[in-house]
Amino acid sequence: MNRSAYIVIPVYNEGPVIRGVVKGVLNHFSNVVCVNDGSKDNSASEVSETNAILVNHPINLGQGAALQTGLEYALQDPEAEYFVTYDADGQHQLSDVLKMLKLIKEEDIDIVLGSRFLGRAENISLLKKIILKAAVKFSNKTSGLKLTDAHNGLRVFNRHVAENLHIQNPDFSHASEIIETIAQKKFKYKEVPVTITYTEYSKTKGQSIFNAINMGLDILFDRLIK
Amino acid sequence: MIKLILVVVILGIMVWFLGNRTTHQVRAWQRLGLLLLTLIGVIVVISPDTSNKVAHKLGVGRGADLLLYLLTLAFIFMTLNLYLKNKEDQKRIVALARKLALIEAQLRLKNRK
Repeated sequence: MNRSAYIVIPVYNEGPVIRGVVKGVLNHFSNVVCVNDGSKDNSASEVSETNAILVNHPINLGQGAALQTGLEYALQDPEAEYFVTYDADGQHQLSDVLKMLKLIKEEDIDIVLGSRFLGRAENISLLKKIILKAAVKFSNKTSGLKLTDAHNGLRVFNRHVAENLHIQNPDFSHASEIIETIAQKKFKYKEVPVTITYTEYSKTKGQSIFNAINMGLDILFDRLIK
Repeated sequence: MIKLILVVVILGIMVWFLGNRTTHQVRAWQRLGLLLLTLIGVIVVISPDTSNKVAHKLGVGRGADLLLYLLTLAFIFMTLNLYLKNKEDQKRIVALARKLALIEAQLRLKNRK
């Protein structure tokens, strides 16, 4: 059982699958924080059926805000050394998390990012692939980092990173925000191949094209205003 | 007749706004700005010719056109101002909701033990 790592799972309307996903994670980790982001379904009660910690946003604030809340909860524990962000829909593999944790413990790295394009993306649609690749190019241009996957929900990082991440963008653009923070604060990062399984369930939940456009515009405007 | 109504309305808004004790955040320069605006408004209403003269000096054809330009500028400024304020409020709400969520989670954990 791994006690020094906290798994943070943002949950928004994941009622049908969340209990199974959380139970799977609890088999390897004792500290699992589920941030229910004002779900309209039974997600919260499903989480309370497990031994995971439930943190309930009273209103929907967005995935970025949920991650930040989860991190702040985990940081209250002085023994928390490693922090994992993990998607609630079951698209990540626990074996990948263990692999990433091993890497961050053994090497001098601040943050390990999962990449589906170094690894395997199962059942990914062509359109999604094109959008994600374009997003990576855009993100690399603006941040100066060299990544192959900019919007992967699976990340493992140490306390130093967790304390310095102040995710402000409440919605999906937090992924770009995290990458920009890595660039600004000069965290040592590494990408590792991970497998993402797109199930019928997760396909209906993912980000739409409009979301991608919105994110791009948000980043552009943020730069203009700053 | 219309002049009288307009002047009364303008003065009424000014008195209501400045006299409103609940708007404590209104800064001094904003109050002065409003006073100035009211003054200009009243002058323009009473003698529309003044706006024409000012417009001519600025190279604008008619006073009405000048007013339209100024109105457009004011509108853009206000929209931007509201947008920024809205963003700020959003941040406050997030901070508040997060605090609430964290406290509640801790309470639940204590009760479980």
